[in-house]
Amino acid sequence: MGYSTLLFLHVTSAFTMVTAAGLLLAIALAQRSNRHSATALRLAPAAAILWPIGSLLAIVFGVWLALHDSQYSLGDGWIIAAIVLWVIGGAIGGRLGAGYRKVTASGAAADPSALVLNLALVVTLVVILIDMIYKPGAS
Amino acid sequence: MTVLLIRPDSWNLPLLLHVGGAMALVASVTVAAVALIQGWRTGDPSSASLKRFGARTLLYAAIPSFFVMRIAAEWILSKEHLENSNAAWIGDGFLAGDAGGLLLLIATIVANVAVRRDPDSGLGKLAKVGASLSVVLIALYVFAVWAMTTKPS
Repeated sequence: MGYSTLLFLHVTSAFTMVTAAGLLLAIALAQRSNRHSATALRLAPAAAILWPIGSLLAIVFGVWLALHDSQYSLGDGWIIAAIVLWVIGGAIGGRLGAGYRKVTASGAAADPSALVLNLALVVTLVVILIDMIYKPGAS
Repeated sequence: MTVLLIRPDSWNLPLLLHVGGAMALVASVTVAAVALIQGWRTGDPSSASLKRFGARTLLYAAIPSFFVMRIAAEWILSKEHLENSNAAWIGDGFLAGDAGGLLLLIATIVANVAVRRDPDSGLGKLAKVGASLSVVLIALYVFAVWAMTTKPS
């Protein structure tokens, strides 16, 4: 696979990941309003599908890109930082998704920390994007 | 083909805003599409809430994201001195950006008019048009990402 195709697949996966994070954030915001709380969880199935697919493919194609191009190395600081941030984001997204599935399945009360976790996820994704664009330390 | 991997530092901020705005745009249009389609599929009273949620997401999240993406696109074009370029990928970007902007505006208007006209019922024809346009927009944005990343000549 060529560089352009790998880049397209990597970026599309990243868009999918951000879209899933948008759905998770929308659920958390909707749950704060009585008007939307009951319907917010109808967004959860889409987030539950998009988050694992987007995050997994983003790291797979990202690592593939790093291995494919001689100007990149998996040992570069900005790539290591991105992988660490991806693990943090994956853990937060996974916990949020599991929490929403629990609420949907059993009708349990929403996790009060969900909004804070969502904001942490958004910050993590923004820092990953900054890292990807600025590539600190790349020569 | 030579690929420019490291760009001048002065391009980074407009590119960050362009890509970040595009990601927020795709995410918010998708949230709206999922809410509207779920409202379309269900016959229970929650469909009115889903319609409102989808319409408001288009208005308060997708439209501002579109402006961030589109203004930053002009900024990065000027940084790269590509304002008068005839490159196909730039034309594709303008097509997705401007035609997509028009579709987004129509989707936002019809969905919010549907909420205003009939706030307590299901989707209705207007909101269904908004839902359909949101799905078309997602397809258009995938095309835009393909054009921006592969830069076909």
